Amino acid sequence: MSKKAAVRKKPDEHDDLVLTPRDVRFDWARLPMHWVPDEPTATHVINVLHLLLPEGERWFVRVFQQTMPLITDEELRERVLGFTGQEAMHAEAHQGVLDHFQAKGLDISPYVSQVEYLFHELLGDKSGLSPRREREYLIERVAIIAGIEHFTAFLGDWILNAEALDRVGADEVMLDLLRWHGAEEVEHRSVAYDLLCHLDPSYLRRARTMVLAASALTHLWVRGTRFLLSVDPELGGSLRPGWREAYRASRRGLLPSPGKALRSASRYFSRRYHPNQEGSTRQAIAYLGASPAARAAAH
Amino acid sequence: MSRPHPAPTPPDLYGRPRADRYFRFMERMMGVYLPLTTARDGYGRRPAAEERPHRLTVARRRMVAEDVVSLRLTTPEGRLLPPWQPGAHLDLHLPSGRQRQYSLAGDPADRYAYTIAVRLIADGAGGSAEVHRELGEGDRVTVRGPRNAFPFAGDRAVLLLAGGIGITPILPMAREAAWRDLDWRLVHSGRTRASLPFADELDRLARRHPGRVEIWADDEHGVPDAAALLARAPEGAAVYCCGPAPMLDAVRGAFEGSGAGALHFERFGAPPIVDGEPFTLRLRDGRELAVPADRSALDVLRADNPATPYSCRQGFCGVCKLRVRSGAVEHRDRKLTPRQRADGEMLVCVSRAAAGTCLELDV
Repeated sequence: MSKKAAVRKKPDEHDDLVLTPRDVRFDWARLPMHWVPDEPTATHVINVLHLLLPEGERWFVRVFQQTMPLITDEELRERVLGFTGQEAMHAEAHQGVLDHFQAKGLDISPYVSQVEYLFHELLGDKSGLSPRREREYLIERVAIIAGIEHFTAFLGDWILNAEALDRVGADEVMLDLLRWHGAEEVEHRSVAYDLLCHLDPSYLRRARTMVLAASALTHLWVRGTRFLLSVDPELGGSLRPGWREAYRASRRGLLPSPGKALRSASRYFSRRYHPNQEGSTRQAIAYLGASPAARAAAH
Repeated sequence: MSRPHPAPTPPDLYGRPRADRYFRFMERMMGVYLPLTTARDGYGRRPAAEERPHRLTVARRRMVAEDVVSLRLTTPEGRLLPPWQPGAHLDLHLPSGRQRQYSLAGDPADRYAYTIAVRLIADGAGGSAEVHRELGEGDRVTVRGPRNAFPFAGDRAVLLLAGGIGITPILPMAREAAWRDLDWRLVHSGRTRASLPFADELDRLARRHPGRVEIWADDEHGVPDAAALLARAPEGAAVYCCGPAPMLDAVRGAFEGSGAGALHFERFGAPPIVDGEPFTLRLRDGRELAVPADRSALDVLRADNPATPYSCRQGFCGVCKLRVRSGAVEHRDRKLTPRQRADGEMLVCVSRAAAGTCLELDV
């Protein structure tokens, strides 16, 4: 009880949402290559999501499915199940964009096969572990996911508020995908963290997996952006990837600010951290009621 | 999911003839990281989880319309209850074993009681009749929750539409809209005035907030038209609708043509099973489980093992996917490709088998 009391939670946040997947569909037929008009760098920085997420979120689902027998709290179990369904739908939606890229001649397969390797081999199940180590490895991966979910909630909150993307005329269907996804990330942002605390509340595990998640994500993002700019058929290698271009886009509100991302990550290390403090569930709910895809899914 | 042979390190991104350096580094790091981080038994040492109160007492019972009983539930010791927000519901476990969900209709600021309202459905499955018949003041009832499947975002402009007993989650939303000073309207519709529950509460709200609350009785005004209801929405408003299925369908149908900006309603999980036949599941350990015509394979698997994964219960998310070793599956999902079906995959939340047949599952 004493430990719990130290955690700060926002009092008017919805903390008890029933999480359910939404059967969304998106039509990419009219998606331009640079869906943030005249901003190839901003477009491709965000496109890295489409490269990482299908495999990444399928990995979340596989890991969380395996935790089912370890969960002794019925309500948490239901939230975890809702989470897995939402993640499975996110994976499918981003896969749709990936398939569209391939069809448009953006050959992303070298990067995608690395991502597959990351989530199937490097972070996949390992043979030859004792049952106890196998269980601890599973929880270690839950902890990595809780760290990643801190960033997905941060990005979700950012995209819900990124009015600059509307102003420059970014593709509406893509914005709806990103905001539907972002809103569900905000909606379920506490689940992975609460599951981790249920399975092992150790501070050390939470802290070290955040270091791992943050550094790997940063590296994968930078190399993903470089890679996309190099294979973009409309650029033909004419645009040299550079930090200045990305920084300028973030100053215009077309990308999240690196400073804010860093400060957000540092809050994860607070002893009083809870994901509930980050972002606004109300804003996420409001968007899910307005999103064309989410509304069409609710039949 | 573990693969028999480890896959080789992926090649360099730009086609240089070598394994990718970053992934080589990550492999070496995992070789050290994994043994170090799995040595401690974190799971075995975790503290016990907190218990939520789950036995409540019926502190007061009153009729709030013809056929509608309202129950005020408190803890037997008069303790503080977990907080909730408009749209939340409580799961009631009735003495007969039936489980029903009822929206909380009271005031979230009242932390010592939950208020629910139950309409007697004469030809229903018996849950409401049991509440009406069996639950009197002083009786105990087991609950779970509250949880929220119909959250209120507190948008700047809102239209609240309630049909009959559907006023229960809407009433707390109206109170919140009033104290947050939102631009809100509420329409409560039903067959007759006498059939509409919580008329006194609504009357109080209407007097305090003139022009915002409207009561629509079919026998006085005729059955409301969804477009006419939606026309009451302030420009760009978020609509929150709770009522019988035909009302929800009509509002959903008329929404695109209205000036409203968002639509919210309570989303339900599993749809009823249509044309189901009884069949059998055989598990890897040789046990057989009977699936009755009115239950899904998933229901039966969950009763056998509560750790069975699933999510949408409508055949689209794929979380409950299992492999079938033998038997003909009647696929009812919207997710699996013909190839996956040919490979023996099945979504147990909706797919079934022909009467009397057996599916051998790899679980």
